Amino acid sequence: MPKVLIPTPLRQYAGKLDAVEVDGATVGEALNKLTTQHPDLRRHLYNDEGKLRSFVNVYVNDEDIRYLQKDQTALGGGDVVSIVPSIAGGSALWP
Amino acid sequence: MLRIDPAPWREMVAHAEATYPNECVGVMLGLTQDEAKTVLTALRMENVNPGSQRERYVLDSRDLLAADAEARRRGLDVIGIYHSHPDCDAYFSSTDLKNSCPWYSFVVLSVQQGRYHHANSWLPDADQTRADREDLILPEN
Repeated sequence: MPKVLIPTPLRQYAGKLDAVEVDGATVGEALNKLTTQHPDLRRHLYNDEGKLRSFVNVYVNDEDIRYLQKDQTALGGGDVVSIVPSIAGGSALWP
Repeated sequence: MLRIDPAPWREMVAHAEATYPNECVGVMLGLTQDEAKTVLTALRMENVNPGSQRERYVLDSRDLLAADAEARRRGLDVIGIYHSHPDCDAYFSSTDLKNSCPWYSFVVLSVQQGRYHHANSWLPDADQTRADREDLILPEN
């Protein structure tokens, strides 16, 4: 089954697991099953409209799903899904 | 509460001063126990902002992914992100807020005329609308 790596700050919401194997044919299915198994994770990954929060990036192996088929990206048995926030900033004022 | 051990703090200050007048960025690894977080290692990251880096930074997500893998190998947590504000105070700017993530502590180091001046730690919310100041305990020297 595909494996989802849980970022260290979110492990407390996933039974302290660092990775969860989930049965999903696509990234969207896998994340849905992950957050069904661990409901406390959902609010950290999704906003009130049910969309992934703006700072959440998802990688399959080393590929950003935004450049694949997004949440329809297909998963195989050995695939590893990583959840990585996008981080930026600086002293400048936001335009 | 965020406590930074002496070795990673020296590394963070050295990184911020060496990168002046540009902004540096790095990842802090450590241990979390309840609300208390201790930084044990600071990893320098590359600021990949394509334009001027004097008042902007961007952390490549692949680098953060690698830092998370390093934390896993060492049995540590990714505690937070640090970056510098050259010739500015260590506030959490609107740019910082709009590009933040609530999973981490954000330490901002003020560097004035090339020398470390002061630092603050911030905890942004999930909606990127506010950041609260976090108690920050630094080594005495």
